[in-house]
Amino acid sequence: MPGTLLTLRDVSLGYDGRVVIEHLSFAVEYGECLALVGPNGAGKTTLLRGILGLIPVLAGQIEYGFDRSTSPPGYVPQRDTLDPIFPLTVFEVVLMGTYGRLALLRPVGRRQRQLAADCLERVGLADLANRPFWALSGGQKQRVLIARALAVEPNLLLLDEPTAGVDPGAATAIMDLLARLNRDQGLTVVLVSHHLRLVRSLVRSVLWVEDGSASKGTAEVMLAPERIMDVFGPL
Amino acid sequence: MDTLVEIVSPGFLQREALVGSVLVGYMCAPVGVYFVLRRMIFLGVALPQISAAGIAFAFLIYRTLVGQHQHFVPNERLLAMLGSLSWTLVGLLILAAFARHRDTVEARIGATYAIAAAATILFLALDPAAEAHMVNLLKGDILATTGPSLTLMAGVFGAIALLLLAFRKEFLLISFDRDLAVVFGKHVGLWDSLLYLMIGVTISLGVMTAGPMVTFGFLVIPPLTARIITRRMLTFSLTAAALGAITAFAGFYCAYRFDLPLGPAEVALASLVLAIVVVTRGLSRVLGRWQAA
Repeated sequence: MPGTLLTLRDVSLGYDGRVVIEHLSFAVEYGECLALVGPNGAGKTTLLRGILGLIPVLAGQIEYGFDRSTSPPGYVPQRDTLDPIFPLTVFEVVLMGTYGRLALLRPVGRRQRQLAADCLERVGLADLANRPFWALSGGQKQRVLIARALAVEPNLLLLDEPTAGVDPGAATAIMDLLARLNRDQGLTVVLVSHHLRLVRSLVRSVLWVEDGSASKGTAEVMLAPERIMDVFGPL
Repeated sequence: MDTLVEIVSPGFLQREALVGSVLVGYMCAPVGVYFVLRRMIFLGVALPQISAAGIAFAFLIYRTLVGQHQHFVPNERLLAMLGSLSWTLVGLLILAAFARHRDTVEARIGATYAIAAAATILFLALDPAAEAHMVNLLKGDILATTGPSLTLMAGVFGAIALLLLAFRKEFLLISFDRDLAVVFGKHVGLWDSLLYLMIGVTISLGVMTAGPMVTFGFLVIPPLTARIITRRMLTFSLTAAALGAITAFAGFYCAYRFDLPLGPAEVALASLVLAIVVVTRGLSRVLGRWQAA
């Protein structure tokens, strides 16, 4: 599906009126896989939250190439934000993703349940459907949250540090999954990540966020070793 | 056994009190599920006290602006309900608004409880017509439950139960992952307000019927017990409601059988069930680890 999915025009974002990142202008095309990278505190998560509509735009505008009310984006948060006091099975967590397209008072039906089961299958965790969500490993929880985002049937998938706090094997599995979703199913992916080595193998474009602004380029240029060394030191 | 047969017989003299107890236990628990899930348990301490202060304030204002009110008439309960509900809702909204500032949450709720308790006594002292009957209204007197008040309670609680069931996916979403709810375009503030309204009405009715102690007890103890033994959200709520109703009934039986104060008996029994579940769960874990070793 050709075309632009997301366009930011001179956007400024921040909290309580305080600007964190400003003068952002870039576009995301259908089928693109874009990583938001940069030093800690640069504003990557702020940008992601602005795109999701979780924080208001302080200046400029964000244009969407899809109807957010009928086709919301898929969102994978950092799993630390979720409270383990909720008694939820893996399947119940994934099923929550189907609420995005369910009208008020419409109960969860067979279609939603089948969709949730299919999404669990796509992330390779169908056999864990009845396990308590909190009993899973960090990498498994992240894949469940990706399944939940897929259950939204999104045009755009946004992930906030999907490999944070997971072991290298699980991180690679998560990135491989995202690569398959992007390459084989044409899903547009935007993710925040600090795992530059993994990101370099996954994405074609990078938005480098630093000092309150951002610049977009190809992964080869933006993740060139000398640039990485300047900011992060040796990988 | 004779006592059990007596209390379930149609001609039982305190049938309204029994049904009222079970209704309070049955309805406070699924509402209390959201107190537990949203980690607002301490609000369950302060809110019933705020409700009592609202009742006392309503009568003081009525006495000041209108004049002496009559006891044991429907308008009296309506006035108490208005005072209780308005204060509970305002208190709930204010405390919930500051709930995100977790570093001072205990201090705020503790202060609110103390202020509400003091205000209740002061309002009673300022009302020259305050009598012992007022104290009964404030601490709840379930034995004085009448048929009409039972009908009102059943109707209101039934409506709340239907709303909790009909909108359970919305309430779950805004409680579990607020950001996702916003991404889905849900009006989080409106849903929060509806949930708080239902909590406020439940607490107000509970306090007026059974008093702050029993209301808080059933808001918190059955959900805490259910949380230990359930793994899914729907069974969590249903189990909490069942535990609330069963312990209310059993507490009533014990109070009637052994001539004990009703409210404390119910709360004590609910606490005993919680203790048994906690100990059983702990022992099964120890046994499991021992067997694995």
